[in-house]
Amino acid sequence: MALWAGLLCVAAPSGGGQEDPFRENRLTMVRDQIEREGISDSRVLAAMREVPRHLLVPPEYRPMAYEPRPLPIGEGQTISQPYVVAFMTEILRLKPGDRVLEVGTGSGYQAAVAAKIAGEVYTVEIFPSLADRARTNLASLGFRNIFVRQGDGYYGWMEKAPFDAIIVTCAGGHVPPPLLRQLRNGGRMIMPVGGPFLTQNLVFLEKGADGTLSQRNVLPVVFVRLLGH
Amino acid sequence: MADEIFLIRLLSFRFWPHFVPLIISQAMLGFGASGVALHLLRPRIAREPEKVFAWAVLLAASSFELAFRISQHVPFDPFLLLWHPSSWPAFALFFFLLAVPFFLAGTAIGVPLSFGLGNAGAVYAACFAGTAAGALLCLPVFSLVPTGLLLRVSLVLGLFASGFVLAYPGRRFRAGRLLAGGITLMFLLLPPIALSLSPYKDLAIVRKLPEARTISVRFGVSGDYQALYSPGIHNAPGLSYRFEGEIPPQAAIFADGELRGIVPRGGGKAPPEYLGFLPAALPYKMASRPAVAQFGLRGTEGILMAAGNGASSVTVVEPAAEFAGMVEDDLAEFAGGAPAGIRVEIRKEGGRSFLARGGEKFDIIELADISSLTFSSLGIHATGETYLLTREGIRAALSRLTDRGMLAVSGWLKSPPRESVKILNTIRAELGPGGRSAPERFIVVRGWGSFVVVARKLPFTGDELAAARRFCGETGFTMVWPDTEPPAGRKGLEEAGFRDSVRSALAGSPSGVDADRLFDLRPVTDDSPYFHRFLNLRSLPEFRRILGDQWVPFVEWGVVFLVASFVVSVALAAVFLLLPLPFTPAGGSGGGFPVVVYFSALGLAYMLIELTFLKIGILLLGDPIRAAAAAVGGFPLLSGIGSAVSGGWESSKTMRRWVFPGIAILAMGGFLALFHGTFFLLEQRLAWRSLAFLAALAPAAFFMGMPFPVALSRMARADSRSIPYAWGVNGFFSVAGVSVASIGSLWIGFHATVAAGAVLYLLAGIVFPRLATGGIPAR
Repeated sequence: MALWAGLLCVAAPSGGGQEDPFRENRLTMVRDQIEREGISDSRVLAAMREVPRHLLVPPEYRPMAYEPRPLPIGEGQTISQPYVVAFMTEILRLKPGDRVLEVGTGSGYQAAVAAKIAGEVYTVEIFPSLADRARTNLASLGFRNIFVRQGDGYYGWMEKAPFDAIIVTCAGGHVPPPLLRQLRNGGRMIMPVGGPFLTQNLVFLEKGADGTLSQRNVLPVVFVRLLGH
Repeated sequence: MADEIFLIRLLSFRFWPHFVPLIISQAMLGFGASGVALHLLRPRIAREPEKVFAWAVLLAASSFELAFRISQHVPFDPFLLLWHPSSWPAFALFFFLLAVPFFLAGTAIGVPLSFGLGNAGAVYAACFAGTAAGALLCLPVFSLVPTGLLLRVSLVLGLFASGFVLAYPGRRFRAGRLLAGGITLMFLLLPPIALSLSPYKDLAIVRKLPEARTISVRFGVSGDYQALYSPGIHNAPGLSYRFEGEIPPQAAIFADGELRGIVPRGGGKAPPEYLGFLPAALPYKMASRPAVAQFGLRGTEGILMAAGNGASSVTVVEPAAEFAGMVEDDLAEFAGGAPAGIRVEIRKEGGRSFLARGGEKFDIIELADISSLTFSSLGIHATGETYLLTREGIRAALSRLTDRGMLAVSGWLKSPPRESVKILNTIRAELGPGGRSAPERFIVVRGWGSFVVVARKLPFTGDELAAARRFCGETGFTMVWPDTEPPAGRKGLEEAGFRDSVRSALAGSPSGVDADRLFDLRPVTDDSPYFHRFLNLRSLPEFRRILGDQWVPFVEWGVVFLVASFVVSVALAAVFLLLPLPFTPAGGSGGGFPVVVYFSALGLAYMLIELTFLKIGILLLGDPIRAAAAAVGGFPLLSGIGSAVSGGWESSKTMRRWVFPGIAILAMGGFLALFHGTFFLLEQRLAWRSLAFLAALAPAAFFMGMPFPVALSRMARADSRSIPYAWGVNGFFSVAGVSVASIGSLWIGFHATVAAGAVLYLLAGIVFPRLATGGIPAR
């Protein structure tokens, strides 16, 4: 069974505007963990190269920010491993001008990556403290097209619907019906299934032009390779 | 003893329910270290043994509470063990802290015995009585004392013991001891321990949701149960995306911090519509007014699903009376009472016991949620016993079905598929000779990230298959078996892995051996009932090669934690039990090869046998805490008695001819009697099962208490310098043996683990005469 809950949290960034000591780590991460594992969308790769992930994890984990693993960020939440973030962004086929809903702001990293590509990102976080910190941190990193709201992401953000893409970063046991209603015809949605700590399975939904839904499990490349397909 | 069992509960609540080996390791480390210390410091202690005894008692009194309080501040996170180096020292500190009280308690027990304080027989008798009382006491205490206050019981018992030693010796009060007693008393005035939960536990997450509030709390032998309500709870595992309605407000029930059930508000008045859009609803769509049995209470969701889908009756089998009471009484108003038009009965007993005891037949037996979405997806439960999902368990369930009755199992899909394939292999193995004709008796449906398997003894009819397809059409789920190809319009839209795995499982080898080379998907049996253990040791190198640095999501954390416990416990045992040995006052004497072999064999063998009895006890007694109380209490008690009367068995001849072979035979015999008498014993009442369990372990445990003191006695007469080595080596291997027993149960099974213990006792018997050449003449 699973519970719906908000996800992820954010650490206060520091060193903005200064020389980025993690630049090389980030470029290496994109090359070794993202490109080499099959992510090819140039916009996703560019976004991953730009967003300072290390500024969105707790200070004690900054040296590990670009390693291929999720990291605890407090409140029992985690920041997904870089590959999962890249995979979820790529499969949504985001393009400039898209309106994106994110459920589970957490560290704000996923919103930041999406915001580098899409027009506007609306992100909902259930924990007030996390929402406040994410709002502050993303603003300090210069994001003007990310809008953070504290609330129950299960109900989406009705006032800003419909969305071209919905990205759910917290694992859930089902697709919330309100989110499906807020997905534009022709829109895409991605959501992890599984524990909040490690992503093993992602479900991808598409709403056809006539409003019909189709869904499939999409597996990160490494999983597909494991299956031999 | 009670503290040992309390700690199992407390750590189950804080982390997860597989801390039994860790706690026993800690106790062994503490007791072993006290034995070594008593021998190393013998000359000093001998000057004032009464004083050391008094201080040990005083310090032990408050140490369990104090150590636990401090341990809560250790930043120990099991999930970081694999990649954060600081986790290891934190784990070692955590482990060490909880071992300290056992060291003090061991010293308090050891000083009177080693230094002749009082009548040795009376001291022995008091120790045995205390062991038995502790094991017995903890069971009612669990029902009377909230989980966070359990260690207050230890404190009160410690204070009681302190009262005897405050004036000891010479009935003169000493300022220091009074101060220590006063500090212990002060602990009682402190606020109770606020148990800090792992942040990844369901309860910890839900507590943080806005407006979350606790609406019911119950506690007992089976666990700590809490019901919380928050508007942020929306639970509908695997709900079809075709469902467009609203999910009513829900309360969530947690057992030891893990989600166990959901109660939709007002569901009793009208079962919520969403329950018909879950994969688990499939068997109801193929039956008319079925009589249903469900294993494991899921709040009221299971009952409401049965009611909403036309069942005539539902019998829910739930061993936790506290959980059942919470649902039936505390949440009755929230739930809107019992649903109308259906007979509901909650049977408060273990699943296997229920299957063995009754004769009633059912049209549907549900084993829902064999894999939870949260912790089991991380492999936390890889080391947990699952007796309902063994071949024997499935066989028992099939025997309680009507001719056209259906066994329904649901769970979460994994990539690559694991639980789904393993349960197919298990059911298939039990459905017919070699499972050859079984494929016609399965329907497998893939839901949203989830699956449901329906199986039965007779082939499904065309009408039933049509009903299943209709259900899939309405919900958007897809039939994976017997329809081996995706429906029109869905080709290329679904991943191939699950469909291929199901086809392979049902059309391929019935054994499941070939199902997957990376994971162990073979049916499990009662001999190694670890359904959620998929890690295949032989394929580990290939596993790492294929997954590279993306292996973390696939690791089974239960196994990781077991191995980590082994490493840390052995490292600490080496530091505290082996390293001090060269510094013995007499210059140190290893006692030679025989001493090392003998005492290592005893330490290891004892744990292999005791822990395996404990694990089979979980099946018989239906609960890990009861089994732990019976085994962890019963073995030391009986061994203590054996130890007390061992004086008359000291001759080489007696030991070699009778004691060592006797232990091997009695341990194997007792285990075999329990294991193979399972089906008969499970039909009996809990009291009889408990007695049978104790009767089976008693003879072996009695004799297992002899080899250690008898050998020490021989050595004391010949060369007492090697006695500290005996304590150290024995303690070290006792600590290691706890994890080795668990690892053995996981990969070689109970029979082989007990047999290994028996063989080690025989080995000890061979070495025994060489322990001290100037020993006692044979009688």
